[in-house]
Amino acid sequence: MRVRFWGVRGSLPVPGARTERYGGNTSCVEITSAAGTRIIIDGGTGIRRLGKELMRAEFESGKGQAHILVSHTHWDHIQGLPFFSPFYREGNRLFVYARQRDDQNLRSVFASQADAPFFPVSFDRTRASVSFRELHDGAKFEIDDVQVATTRLNHPHVATAYAIAADGARVAYVADTAPFTDILFGQEFLSGPPHQNVRLSRSDKTKLKAMASAVVRLCEGADLVIYDTMYTADEYRQLPHFGHSRPSDAIGVCSEAGVRTLALFHHAPDRTDGEVDAMLDGARLQAGQLAHKVEVLAAFEGLDIQLGKA
Amino acid sequence: MEVTFWGVRGAIPSPGPATVRYGGNTSCVSVRLDDGETIMIDCGTGARNFGLSLLAGAFGKGKGCATVLLSHSHWDHIQGFPFFGPFYVPGNRFTVIGGSQDSELLERVLERQMAAQFFPVQSYRNMGAQIEMHAGREVRVGNAKITAHPNPHGPTQAMAFRIESEGKTLVYASDVGYEKDGPTQGTLTAYRNADLLIHDCTFTPEDRAQRISRGLSSLDDAVEAAVRSNARTLALFHYDQDYTDQDVDELVARGRRKLDQRGAQSTSILGAAEGVTVRL
Repeated sequence: MRVRFWGVRGSLPVPGARTERYGGNTSCVEITSAAGTRIIIDGGTGIRRLGKELMRAEFESGKGQAHILVSHTHWDHIQGLPFFSPFYREGNRLFVYARQRDDQNLRSVFASQADAPFFPVSFDRTRASVSFRELHDGAKFEIDDVQVATTRLNHPHVATAYAIAADGARVAYVADTAPFTDILFGQEFLSGPPHQNVRLSRSDKTKLKAMASAVVRLCEGADLVIYDTMYTADEYRQLPHFGHSRPSDAIGVCSEAGVRTLALFHHAPDRTDGEVDAMLDGARLQAGQLAHKVEVLAAFEGLDIQLGKA
Repeated sequence: MEVTFWGVRGAIPSPGPATVRYGGNTSCVSVRLDDGETIMIDCGTGARNFGLSLLAGAFGKGKGCATVLLSHSHWDHIQGFPFFGPFYVPGNRFTVIGGSQDSELLERVLERQMAAQFFPVQSYRNMGAQIEMHAGREVRVGNAKITAHPNPHGPTQAMAFRIESEGKTLVYASDVGYEKDGPTQGTLTAYRNADLLIHDCTFTPEDRAQRISRGLSSLDDAVEAAVRSNARTLALFHYDQDYTDQDVDELVARGRRKLDQRGAQSTSILGAAEGVTVRL
């Protein structure tokens, strides 16, 4: 199985010299099994260059097939899709997966991104065959030789984590999520951090605990876990209501789940290359002190990892 | 007046080593008038860095006031809106003007970008600052007169803005696809005698010829508009997402030669680049 990172940034793309090494494109990760099954997790701006590369092979002649798993539909996870060239070539088959919602139909959420007055090419003009598959929380399914497991995350409007298993290897993608300690997110807008004297209700605590153990189960024994570590401890104290984690949260989950390697991911837009380096150093120090050693790296555009049998 | 480029790219931000010099952020230009008024033209991802610079001053204390002009509502011109820091400071006041829309329509467009499925803040009303939407093709901001002129942009329109203040004129004309005969008399009147004409230059003439009409300009269109409207300086703008810094250098050099061939030696040319300020 081959894992390639095309976009590692959260919130919005950040071009410029200060993000040159880790990259400024928003979230997109490609996973290909040895048998050639192609999975793409999230369609941030990084998916544009992936699309260009795919158009150099079978997608150019309309014979490509890919499965796009969407963690959630916040802009930084879907804004590259209208620029994904394989959509515009007849014959290509694309499958889009995301969590089922009772308030919105998945196709219409995606189509509305390509509507006037926002974009000149309407979704009806995509030439490829595009199928949408809505997932219920905790769904497990197979895509050819690949097993996919899911669980819900703690994020405004809810996000889905995915685990991908093939070729004797396992990768989990856990973004975006807050830790499972202070706030339980639903759909609602949170204008600020919760008041310190307001305690979580017993039922919220129970839900968070169940969510946390489901995430640990999803990551259990994974070779690689890609985790939303957008915040430093300080930033989390100020902005717990936006639904992102710190490296320490990711290390906690990975250590409990016996994970081999953790990839810090979804870097904050204002995090410079030097600051990501510093965050990585801190995380390695922390992970090194645990009984179960977790290897830590910081995801960057172009990172290419081979897992299991090739 | 002082004009600063914060985002000069079209379509989609293009981060990476190949775009570091001109910049990969989508369209955003700021104008600071001599009387201190602040104007932001378009709100692509470049707006984030402009917002950060404003937060260091009055906008960080909730005492800022600015006018936002939107040429049209394609993503690359509004996607920075949710990430413009000064919108989140209560006390700041903004007037948003999108010349082609009535104010209710403009509000609905911006609200759709903020909706819960796309962004956690859910409404621009939750951002904190006072943000008002205005329609209209003529406004006054401090001592400046601003007029909006609708240009053809594929099947839709994009506004060109003319800002006149203290004897100086700035024209911003991004996202325009002229008919075969080039800019109309009405368009040239709107552009006339600009000290700085910021003009759409998405493509080289060769690349433009290969696209089905999408309502964008080539280098030839930009030169044509500058020569016929008698611009003092032409700034190329809104480059294709795949153009590298070298490609843009080449556009500027070719633009210089084309201006000279047209006898417009006195018109200067520059390639708009993030972080560059032009004083008029």
